[in-house]
Amino acid sequence: MAYTERVVEHYERPRNVGSFAAEEGNVGTGVVGAPECGDVMKLQLKINPQTEVIEDAKFKTFGCGSAIASSSYVTELVKGKTVAEAGAIKNTEIVTELALPPVKIHCSVLAEDAIKAAVADWRDRAEGAGAPKKDAA
Amino acid sequence: MATPTVARCWRCQDEHRPQVFCPACEALQPLPPDIDYFTLFGLARHPRLDEQALAQTYYELSRQLHPDLHQTGTAQEREASLQNTALVNRAYRTLRDPVQRGRYWLALNGEPLGKENNKVPPALALFVFEVQEKLAAVREARPAETEGTQDALAGLRAEMTQVRDDLDDRMRDLQHRLAANFSKWGQADGSSALLSELKRVLSEMAYLRTLTRDVEKALSIL
Ligand code: FES
Ligand SMILES: [Zn+2]
Repeated sequence: MAYTERVVEHYERPRNVGSFAAEEGNVGTGVVGAPECGDVMKLQLKINPQTEVIEDAKFKTFGCGSAIASSSYVTELVKGKTVAEAGAIKNTEIVTELALPPVKIHCSVLAEDAIKAAVADWRDRAEGAGAPKKDAA
Repeated sequence: MATPTVARCWRCQDEHRPQVFCPACEALQPLPPDIDYFTLFGLARHPRLDEQALAQTYYELSRQLHPDLHQTGTAQEREASLQNTALVNRAYRTLRDPVQRGRYWLALNGEPLGKENNKVPPALALFVFEVQEKLAAVREARPAETEGTQDALAGLRAEMTQVRDDLDDRMRDLQHRLAANFSKWGQADGSSALLSELKRVLSEMAYLRTLTRDVEKALSIL
């Protein structure tokens, strides 16, 4: 599978790899997987509870180059956006930016799903009173 | 993926259930491209199948369809022999492997594995990320540069081997659950529960297979 230049670029120099310290608050974590290929992706968003702006993002993806590139790109894309704006990001945006071929579209869907899962997780935690749950995996 | 139930012979116009040779005049028939694989092999539509019968029918069909045999046939027959051969090969590869067959069964039932199925069960996710952290540590250990620290390498190797054995055990367990799921089809209990269980098992197998591949890779550089 030949990767496009932009995929290779993100793949070789992924942005924002890692996770936030377990005790850090205001973090939403989304873990999603693609059962067809067995790839998994974890995306974490650090969100300002007053403004609902995403201040930082980190990811860990174990999978194909396109999935890594998609999540790397997404961490850059969501920073500075509100959770509502981030939740509205469509995978087509990722496909265009990375010039993904049709067989790699599901990799970008995974990244879109990861944002939604992270936002949902953050909302759950926020609603579950101010006390964030401990297990962030 | 509904299979048409009637096909008409291009030569004698006989109408019959889709099959490779016309039962009336024995002319080779182009198979409907969306024929379901079970029907193609004359098997009952059921995920548990007689593997021996499958293999036997496969070899028989391959022989009968072989393009060499149809060189002197009409253009339709030559074309049908090529296309049917490709279809039969694809169908056989799918059905003989329980994992592929399970995925195919899901699709036949309108629930392809990837449909609304992006949640990784938390315990599984935890396990996957844990193992992946260990693998990252292995990559960082850079065996070439850690020469002289044989003990450290041996330790990592032992740990990785343990992880691989653990993965093998889990995989065997999942294979049993897959076979058990297949056997339950067609019994009274609702198929939607069986579908979601099948999805769960096949998803977990996919995640663990990817993980196993990464563990093997790490072991090969240790
Ligand atoms: S191949 Fe499945 S996520 Fe890329
Ligand atoms: Zn006929």
